[in-house]
Amino acid sequence: MGDVLGAGLVAAGLALGVGHVSGVAVPPLWMAMLLLLAGGLARAGAQWLAADLGMADAMRLKAAERARHWRALLEAPPAGRLAGAEMARAIDSVEMLEGFEARFRPMRTAAVVAPLLVALLVAFQSPVSAAILVFTLPPFAMGMALAGTAARTAADRQLGAIRHLNGLFLDRLRALPEIRHFQAEERVLRQMADASTEVADRTLATLRVAFLSGGIIEFFAAIAVALVAIYAGFNLLGILPFPVPERLGLVAAFFALAMAPEFYLPMRRLAAAYHDKQMGEAAREALATRAESPPPLPRAEQFAGVSARDLVARHPDGPVIGPVTFAIAATGLTVLVGPTGSGKSTLLAALAGRVPLESGALEWAAGGVPPLGWAGQRPLILSGSLASNLALAAPDAAEAAILATARAAALDELLATRGLQARIDWAGSGLSGGERRRIGVARALLSGRPLLLLDEPTADLDAESAAHVREALRAMAGSRALVVATHDEALAVLADQRVRLS
Amino acid sequence: MSAPEQDLEALVAGRMAGQKSALRGAIFAAVAAALAATLLLGLSGWFLTGAGLAGLAGGGAVLAFNYLVPSAFIRLSAVARTGGRYFERLLSHRAALRTLAAVRVDLMAQVAALDPRRARVLSNGEAAARLTGDVDALEDRIVRTPARPAALASAAFALLLAGAASPWAVPALAALFLTLPPAVAAVARWRVDAPAEEAQRLLGQLKAEMADMLAAGPEIAVYGLAAEAAGRLQRTAAQMDMARRRAASGTALATGLLTAAGPLMAALVLLLGTGSAPLVAAAALAVLAACEILGGPIRARLEESRTRTGLRQLEALAAQAADAPAKSLPAASQPQPLAIDALRLIPGDRLALTGRSGSGKTRILESFAGLRADAPQALRVGGEDPRALAFADLSRQFALSPQDPVLIAGTVADNLRLARPGLTEEALWAALETACLADEVRALPEGLLTWLGDGGARLSGGQRKRLALARALLAGRPWLLLDEPSEGLDSRTEAELARRLGEWLSATGAGALIASHRPAIVGLAGRCLNLG
Repeated sequence: MGDVLGAGLVAAGLALGVGHVSGVAVPPLWMAMLLLLAGGLARAGAQWLAADLGMADAMRLKAAERARHWRALLEAPPAGRLAGAEMARAIDSVEMLEGFEARFRPMRTAAVVAPLLVALLVAFQSPVSAAILVFTLPPFAMGMALAGTAARTAADRQLGAIRHLNGLFLDRLRALPEIRHFQAEERVLRQMADASTEVADRTLATLRVAFLSGGIIEFFAAIAVALVAIYAGFNLLGILPFPVPERLGLVAAFFALAMAPEFYLPMRRLAAAYHDKQMGEAAREALATRAESPPPLPRAEQFAGVSARDLVARHPDGPVIGPVTFAIAATGLTVLVGPTGSGKSTLLAALAGRVPLESGALEWAAGGVPPLGWAGQRPLILSGSLASNLALAAPDAAEAAILATARAAALDELLATRGLQARIDWAGSGLSGGERRRIGVARALLSGRPLLLLDEPTADLDAESAAHVREALRAMAGSRALVVATHDEALAVLADQRVRLS
Repeated sequence: MSAPEQDLEALVAGRMAGQKSALRGAIFAAVAAALAATLLLGLSGWFLTGAGLAGLAGGGAVLAFNYLVPSAFIRLSAVARTGGRYFERLLSHRAALRTLAAVRVDLMAQVAALDPRRARVLSNGEAAARLTGDVDALEDRIVRTPARPAALASAAFALLLAGAASPWAVPALAALFLTLPPAVAAVARWRVDAPAEEAQRLLGQLKAEMADMLAAGPEIAVYGLAAEAAGRLQRTAAQMDMARRRAASGTALATGLLTAAGPLMAALVLLLGTGSAPLVAAAALAVLAACEILGGPIRARLEESRTRTGLRQLEALAAQAADAPAKSLPAASQPQPLAIDALRLIPGDRLALTGRSGSGKTRILESFAGLRADAPQALRVGGEDPRALAFADLSRQFALSPQDPVLIAGTVADNLRLARPGLTEEALWAALETACLADEVRALPEGLLTWLGDGGARLSGGQRKRLALARALLAGRPWLLLDEPSEGLDSRTEAELARRLGEWLSATGAGALIASHRPAIVGLAGRCLNLG
């Protein structure tokens, strides 16, 4: 709105200035100059403020959307390769809302309010000019409605074609090694070129229609200026072919003329933000549909053993495992062994309820999944101290307990060189893969949970550390149940039972 | 400018050359629209002031005032402005879209020319994002090409009017017109580029952080850390938003310069006006209009700050030119003898590779095919180390049926025809027969023309594998590389497959390296190499 008022100041300055040059205006020239400069600055300031406030609004909305989607996503992430797509959606879609919120939405409001304000300002000087501006609106709206509908259907079809093309590129990129292996590059590229050109031409056909609505805005913007100029000129000359209730002075006429381009300006700006609108709508759609997560399982407070009967599970990206049958007692060390790719990690995930069962059943003696400890291949590292990372699952742990567990997990060297309070960033830079892994193991040991699921706890370790970790796991198995997926034969011989996958 | 940037520039410029006429048309239309817009306002101001003065003088002055010509011109320029803008947009988009359709394929060709053994690993998603999203950033650049000449034309026209109306203002106006674009560019560099890049960096960090967290998904779930983890992500996201806001505010500041400059220039015209009043009024309005049109190229410059990272990534992709030339075989089209350490094979030999999983069977096959270079054995193709040989030469020797085949989104026939150009339908069926897949393809709703969906989603793992096998048979290479060809088959089909493959090998005289642990398949080979 400040923009319109600024425009009013500029128009007033111009009108007075021209009046002065023509010798009809009374006020001194410096006042016109002052109005012009103040108007320019006011417009610039208003535009800056609108941009900044729009961004602030968008930031608030984005934060709320993130809070809504990210937490749900982290609580129950879809398994496998879907996760990547979900992640892109969770981050990119929220970003795509920005343009809509920060630019399109305020402009949409401005497109409704600002023309009326312009007409009001003009009406103070020349009611008939204001009426002319307002009377161009109905035919303009009709033209827009016609062109808009046509553009929308065309644009929807178009979006489908572009998506298809993107999918085609993605697919052929994925198959690129095989395509090259069979020396089919040229043929495939020719095919891509044809598809690409075709989509470009179709896009162009759509744009032809879309630009029509742009053209309608341009036309009415230009016509509004022309009509006001011609009306005011004829009024000044006193040769209008029809009677009007006003007799304009040069200053009033010039003011109306200078304001006329402002009438359609907000609509022209809105049309230019069409892309922001499209992106925002696509993002809303994407955020509304979410991939399914596995349903929550019944929970129990205790762990009294679990038995798997003819269990068959399939990781979305991995092989089918099973059928496998085994029982795990309330305490003791169980190892899952089998070649790479046989599904050891998948079985751990199935125990944690992260992978749906295809058939068979898991029977929990206590009636549900107990509190679990988990140490995966890529443990979570959060920015903070080493101690806080170790105690993520046991925030109340005393420093002595943290220290003891860290020692048990063979983190002595890290403790000696950097200490418990060492700062760690989110990427875990400065930590080796083995150290990250041991942090995960220590975290699980410290969690005090009755059932610990560990994936390759001794991989990436030197012989001495590995022996240390084995000992700690063996000792821990006296008071709780440990299920460990491993290739480590030395660990497997310590186990109370082996579950073999093939 | 760095070398890679020039590569992309050269690529785009080369492709734009094909769109010269559309671009010229766009520039012509843009200039016409800009002149019409300037004329519309200038003429309106002139007409109004002239009419006002005539009206004041009254009587004869009114009769003497020619209102027909200017009012006709006002209407004409209104129409010309609309038409000009329409054609400018249409033609510039035509040039941009056609150019980019070609550039996209050029970039894909560059990716395709990379040696899979040496190319910096670019994930499919990443490469696809560059080929689609980042190329779109280029579109904007091309679409905005006519903005500069249009701004120049309208500024020149406004200066011309000002020269007649208030010559003393011209030097100041010209100086402002000339210094505004660099001034905006300076503000952009100072207040927009850095935060925009910071935001882009934080977006990358955010994605990496979230990927790490999703990789640790079970841990977050079992320890109930989702709120904590989401909070960490929010912190990074909030930093990114702040950077974005700074960039947006910088952009507004830069455009604000222009917004404030327009009235200042109009004021100069009025203040220093020496010409007739209508002329001064025309010049003042024309200068305002020219200032608005100057916003076009200036917005293009600001847009560049926003898309800069994407363009830089594209440049990096374009710069990944073909690798250093590899050795080529003297008689690459002839079947070559092979060797694995001391074991020697002549064309037509069949060797089974056995051993537990993880013993490196696949590594040997894929190293021969040129897809990797990490087999510990000393491999030889025609006496040369395959690692040193050109990928294309290896492709001519081998047809691989991989362990986890990748199918293209297309029909069964599309996938088979990838093997070699000019294959007849009979040949396709024959290969499917040998691969024990013909009956199943016949049972598909549209047979060979059945659409398989992304990655062959319609087929089971075993079917995909046999389709890939049929494709390898069709390639007609001297050596077949078969990786676990009977995986997922029942023993009867497996025996049948072994029999038909044996017949095919004998009939064609092709050699084969077969990785398998199934006796029926291993039995196909005359020799066996156990990798332990």
